[in-house]
Amino acid sequence: MRAEPARFADWAARSVGAAWRSFDLQLTTYAALLAAIGLAMAYSNSVEAGRSVFEAGSTFLRGLMWAGLAIVAFVVVTAFDYKWLKTFAWPLYLAQLGLLAVTLAVGDGVGGAARWISFGPFAFQFSELAKILMIVVLANYLAARQGRLQSLGSILGACVLVVPPWLLVMLQPDLGTSLVFAAILAGMLFMSGASLRWLAVLGGLVVALVPLAWTHILKDYQKARLISFLNPATDIHGSGYQLYQAQIAVGSGGWMGKGLTNGTQTQLDYLPVQTTDFVYALLAEELGFVGGVVMLALFTALLWRVILAAWRSRDPFGTMFCCGVASMILFQLVVNVGMVIGIMPITGIPLPFVTHGGASLVSIAAGLGIIQSINIRQTRAEW
Amino acid sequence: MNVLLDGGVDRERRVIRFVAFGLAVVVSVSALTARLFYLQISNGTQYAALAETNRSVLQPVPSSRGLIYDRTGRPLVTNVPSYAVKIRPGDLPVSRRAEVVARLAALIGMDPADINAAIDGNPGSRFDLVRIAQDIPRATADVILESHLDLPGVEVVVETRREYPQGPLLSQIVGYTAPISAEQLDRRADAGYLPDDLIGKAGVEAVYESDLRGEYGAESVERDAAGQTLRVLQTVSQPAAGDSLRLTIDTREQQLAQQALQWGMKAAGLKRGVVIVMNPQTGEVLALVSLPTYDNNAFATGISNADYGRLINDTNKPLTNHAIQAQYPPGSTYKLVTGTGGLADKKITRTTRLTTRSYLTLGGTRFYDWNRRGFGSCNIMCGFAHSSDTFFFQVAGMLGIDRLGYWAAQFGFGQKTGIDLPGEVTGIVPTNQWKLDELGLPIYPGEVYQAGIGQGYDVVTPIQLITAYAALANGGKVMQPQIVREIVGPDGSIVRPFEPKVVRRVAAPASVLTQMREAARNVVLVRHTYNLVDLPIIVAGKSGTAEFGLRDRQGRLPFHSWFVGFVPKNPKIQPGDPRGLKAIARTDSDLIVLAFAYDSRTKGNTATEIVKYFMQLHFGIKKDFRIPYLLQRGNFYQGN
Repeated sequence: MRAEPARFADWAARSVGAAWRSFDLQLTTYAALLAAIGLAMAYSNSVEAGRSVFEAGSTFLRGLMWAGLAIVAFVVVTAFDYKWLKTFAWPLYLAQLGLLAVTLAVGDGVGGAARWISFGPFAFQFSELAKILMIVVLANYLAARQGRLQSLGSILGACVLVVPPWLLVMLQPDLGTSLVFAAILAGMLFMSGASLRWLAVLGGLVVALVPLAWTHILKDYQKARLISFLNPATDIHGSGYQLYQAQIAVGSGGWMGKGLTNGTQTQLDYLPVQTTDFVYALLAEELGFVGGVVMLALFTALLWRVILAAWRSRDPFGTMFCCGVASMILFQLVVNVGMVIGIMPITGIPLPFVTHGGASLVSIAAGLGIIQSINIRQTRAEW
Repeated sequence: MNVLLDGGVDRERRVIRFVAFGLAVVVSVSALTARLFYLQISNGTQYAALAETNRSVLQPVPSSRGLIYDRTGRPLVTNVPSYAVKIRPGDLPVSRRAEVVARLAALIGMDPADINAAIDGNPGSRFDLVRIAQDIPRATADVILESHLDLPGVEVVVETRREYPQGPLLSQIVGYTAPISAEQLDRRADAGYLPDDLIGKAGVEAVYESDLRGEYGAESVERDAAGQTLRVLQTVSQPAAGDSLRLTIDTREQQLAQQALQWGMKAAGLKRGVVIVMNPQTGEVLALVSLPTYDNNAFATGISNADYGRLINDTNKPLTNHAIQAQYPPGSTYKLVTGTGGLADKKITRTTRLTTRSYLTLGGTRFYDWNRRGFGSCNIMCGFAHSSDTFFFQVAGMLGIDRLGYWAAQFGFGQKTGIDLPGEVTGIVPTNQWKLDELGLPIYPGEVYQAGIGQGYDVVTPIQLITAYAALANGGKVMQPQIVREIVGPDGSIVRPFEPKVVRRVAAPASVLTQMREAARNVVLVRHTYNLVDLPIIVAGKSGTAEFGLRDRQGRLPFHSWFVGFVPKNPKIQPGDPRGLKAIARTDSDLIVLAFAYDSRTKGNTATEIVKYFMQLHFGIKKDFRIPYLLQRGNFYQGN
C-alpha cells in the first residue's frame, strides 16, 4: 500500500514526460491561431452594433465562452486514451444516431428546419459532433478491415455505415453537413487504401444519381442557391444577393483590407450571416488579401500536422481517424471559402475554427484532442 | 507471404495516397489563393467602387421655397414645419399591405381608399417614397415611429409645408402646392424633382414654380442595407433658397372687393361673381376676387379625396378662377368695340344721329331694342349712354363682322391677356373666317347685329373686359395685366423689377377714345346707372346685361350683369367741371373696377351696385348710395 503513491508518481512522471515530448505543439498553435481569427471576426461583428462588445449575449462574448469550452474539451480529450474509442465504437455509433434523431424530433431551425437544440440562450448543433463520431466509427471499421480493402464488400460496408446518419441529416434538412459526411467517407476510403477501381465505380454511380437527386430530393431554395453561384449577376436582389455582396466585400478588401471593424459591406449589413457561413468575406474585407492568405496558410500548416500524425500513427485506427479529420477540414475549407469567393455553390458549410458557432468549434477541438491523444500514445511507427 | 506482399503493396499504396492527399491540399489552397488574388488584387478597384456605391447614396437636400408678399409687404404664405407620412412600397410586403394600410388609416384619420390610391398612383419606382399625408400631429408621428414594426414601409419625414394666412381670400391668386403628379414628374425629371415632391399646382405658386422652388442641394450619405441613413459623408452642393414674389395685389383692396362682391351676391342671391380692380396705367391687378372659392390651406395640408371630389363636382366651380378661366357673353359692355370701330372707321362721327326704335327688321326677323319705345334720334353720346341696341345694330351693320372683329382684337378680345395666372382662356371674337372654321357656315347679317351688342357668339373673360376698358381709360394702351410685381432674391435683391408691359396701342385716334370716355361718363350722367352720378367722385363706365342659356316659361332668358367703371386721377368733382367731362377726357385714370354677376335676375344691375359699393369703401365715402331695391329678384329687362 505504501508503494502505491510512488508507483503512481513514477507512472505519472513518465507518462507526462513522454506525452509532452510527443504532444504536437505546432498543431495546437495553428488551431489556436485559427480560433483567434474567429474571435477577431466575432469582435468586429460585435463592434458594429455600436454597443459594448462585452455586452451580455454579444457575438464576441459568446465566442469567448465557446473558445473556453473548446479548450476544456481539447484538454480532457487529449488526456483521455483514444484506444477506448475502439472499444466503444458501436455504442458511439448508436449515440450519434440518437443525437441526430433527437435533433430531428425537437430541434429548432430557420424556416421549419430542425438543426440545433436550444439550452436556454445557447444552441448546440449536434450534427457537428456527429461528424467526429462518424470519423471514429469509420476509422474503427476501416482499421479492422486492413488488408481486405480491395474487396467491394469492405467499401460497401463503410457506405452502409454512413447511410443512416446521412439520411437523418438530410431530413433536417442540412445539405451541407450531409455533403461533409460524404466527403469524410470518400477521403477515408481513399486514404485507407481501398481499391481505386471500385471507388471510381461508386463515384460514377453517385454522379449518375445527381439528376435524380436534383428532381426528387433537393428543395427549391437549395436548387436556387446551387444555381446562383454559376451566375450570381442574374438575380442580385434574390438568390444571387448574398453571393454578389460577398464578392463585393472580398474584392473591395484589396491588399491590406479596410481594417478590423472598418468593413463597409459587412458592418452596414449588406452581407448577411457574416460571422457564420460568410465569415471569410468579413475577414477578406477587413484584413485583405494578406489576411486571407495568412488564414489559408494556417489551414495548410494545420492539415500538414494532421496528415503527419496520420503518417506517424502505428495504429491503423489512429491513421484512419487523422485522415478523416483532415478530409473533413479540407472539404469544409474549400467549400466554404470557395462559396464566399464565388467558385462553389452556397451550401451552408461552416469554416472550421473561424465560423462563429459553439458546436463546430468544440467538436473540432475534441477531434484535435483525439489526434493529440493518438500522437501521445504512439511509439513511433517504423514504416 | 501474402501478408508480407500485401504489406508491401499496402505500404506503397499508402505512400502514393498520402502524397495524393498532400497534393490535393496544395492544389485546393492554391486555387483558392488564385481566386482571392483575382478578386482582391486584379479587380480590387472595381469591387471597391461597387462597395462604395452600396454604401453611399446621393441624397437631395430640399431648398427653402420662396415666399409670397402682397404689394405692401404683407406675407401671404409662410413655410411651417410639418410631419409627413410616406410609404416606400418596396418595403411594404404585399401580403401585409391591407393590414398596414388599415392600421395607418386609423392612426392618421384617413380613408384607406385614399392611401391605396396614393400608393397605386405612385409616380416613382417601388423604391421611391410615396407621399400619403401631410401635416400630421406630432403625437401621431410619434405613435407611427414607435410602431414601425407593425407598419413596415411607413416612414415619417419632417419637412416644411405652405401655410396661407389669408386662406380663401387669395386662394385664386396665390394657389397652392400639392404632391407632384406622374405626368408633372415626367416633364420635370431633369429639373431635379423627386417622386414625393411638392409642386405649385395653382395660382402664382404654379406659374412661378421655377422661381419659388430654388435649387435642391445634394449630399452623399452613408446608408446601410436596410436603407437607413447613418451619416452625411459629404455635402456635394448646398441648396439654394427660392426667390420670393411681391404681388401687385393689395390685401386691403382684395378684402374690400370681396366684401362688396359678397354683399351683392348675398343681396341678389347669386351663385357666382367676379370683381377685378386694376391700375389702368400699369396693368397692375390690385384685387381679383372670384366667388365661390376654396381654402388653399386644405390642399397644402393634404386634401382628402372626398373633399376634393366635393370641390370638383360643385356646379359653381369653386376651383375655377372665373375672372380668367371662364368666358361669358359681354352684353352691352361690348358696345365699346362697336362704338370705337364706328368712329375710327368713320362710319359715324361724334355728331352722326341714327334713329333708334323698338326694333329693326332684317330678313323678316325683328331685332328688338331693350327699350321697346326706342330713344328717338341718337348720336354716340346718347346711344352709348342709354345703351341703345338699335343704335349699335346699325353701327355694327355699317362695320361688318370683320371690322368689328378687328376692333375687338384691337382691345385684346379673342386672345389671352397674358396675365401671370394659370389656365387663362381666350374668349371668342366671331369673324367670317372664325365661323367658317368652326361651323363651316358664313356669318348671317343678324349675327352681325348680335355681335355689335356683345351677344351671339361673343364671349369674353372678365380680365379681358377690364383690360379693354383700361385701354380706354389710359388713352389706348392695352396693358398686360400683372399679378406679380417683383421677384426678390433670398438676400432681398430685386431679381426681376416691375415693368409695365404694353401689349398694343389701340389703332384708333386719341380723339375717338376721348369721345368714348366722354360717352362712358355720359352713361353715369344720364342716370342709366341710377344714383352712381351722385357719388362725390367722377365715375365713367358701362353696364351690360348679357342673356345666356335657355328661355323660361315666359320666354325670358336668364342673364348676367356686368359693370366696369373707372375714375380719373383726383376723382373729386371740381367746381370748374361739374359734370366731370374735362376730367374724364384726361388719360390719367389709376383705378378701374369690374364686377360680373353670374345669372342675376334682378330688378336692377347688380354689378353696378357692387362696383358702387366698392367705390364707397375704397374712397371712404361715408354716405351709403346702395339701392337694395335694385337687387331684388325680378326682371328689369330686356337688356340695357
